[in-house]
Amino acid sequence: MFHLITGGSGSGKSEYAENLVLSAGEGERIYVATMIPYGEEGRQRVERHRKLRAQKRFRTVECYTGLAKLSFPQNGIVLLECVSNLTANEMYETNGAHEQTVEAILRGIDSLRAQVKHLFVVTNEVFSDGITYDEEMMRYIAYLGAINCALAQRADRVTEVVCGIPVKIKEVS
Amino acid sequence: MKLIIGGACQGKLTYAKETYHIADGWADGRSCSREDLGSCRGVHHFHEYIRRMASSEEQSLELDEIEKQAGAFACTLAQENPELVIVSDELGCGIVPVEKTDRLWRELTGRICTCLAAQADEVVRVVCGIGVKIK
Repeated sequence: MFHLITGGSGSGKSEYAENLVLSAGEGERIYVATMIPYGEEGRQRVERHRKLRAQKRFRTVECYTGLAKLSFPQNGIVLLECVSNLTANEMYETNGAHEQTVEAILRGIDSLRAQVKHLFVVTNEVFSDGITYDEEMMRYIAYLGAINCALAQRADRVTEVVCGIPVKIKEVS
Repeated sequence: MKLIIGGACQGKLTYAKETYHIADGWADGRSCSREDLGSCRGVHHFHEYIRRMASSEEQSLELDEIEKQAGAFACTLAQENPELVIVSDELGCGIVPVEKTDRLWRELTGRICTCLAAQADEVVRVVCGIGVKIK
């Protein structure tokens, strides 16, 4: 089962996704962390998410680029957070996929889907502030938009979290 | 308590006025006081009230602190004014802002609205003038 969870910043999507993993039954809980903790704010954010997961028996695997190289057991219940970080990493890190960012991330997600029994992927709504940014930022937004659309097509479920409330976008019965 | 959220200029206030039969007496988050929030029937531009909160206090971006503060604020407001109708822009669906106070504001608005949503008996998201009840 592949469930895509989206939402804005501060919408409560992380907590919602973690609770989905907790109610997904038996299996090995694996958290794929993608955020490179730059600066004090980044460190705080990582620390906060780590605390929220602390007592929930997650194994944390850090993966900043090259998702396709990960290998997990069949009984894995994997939570990957967050596609918006992964996209920036692939675009801008020296060992990233650069122009092939969209393909690399989709290949990575497809590889995870084929390996584990449940995959929960958290992404981000960054598309509605109406601001025209510079070319580079617009390219980031376009890549993330394309990835989100492609992931939603593959997903069995898509949920948007709004003020902590899950809003169903797609469900394949 | 009712919470009405959505993007800017989506007809949220009109929706709230009609749905909850509150023609006037609305507090405006751009200018109202903390006391007004406790006594008014409805408040709009609530996110602008939070912007003033975020900029008036010398705050760190310590997320645990923001979360605690948001929870306390939402609980107190729900007790003070349990029939309050709150209309707020939904922030957070954009690129991370460059300015620290903007990031704080966005984060605080998200957390406060999440806490208010948990307390509210009704949450409506207005899109293109149409209210979609999500709780």
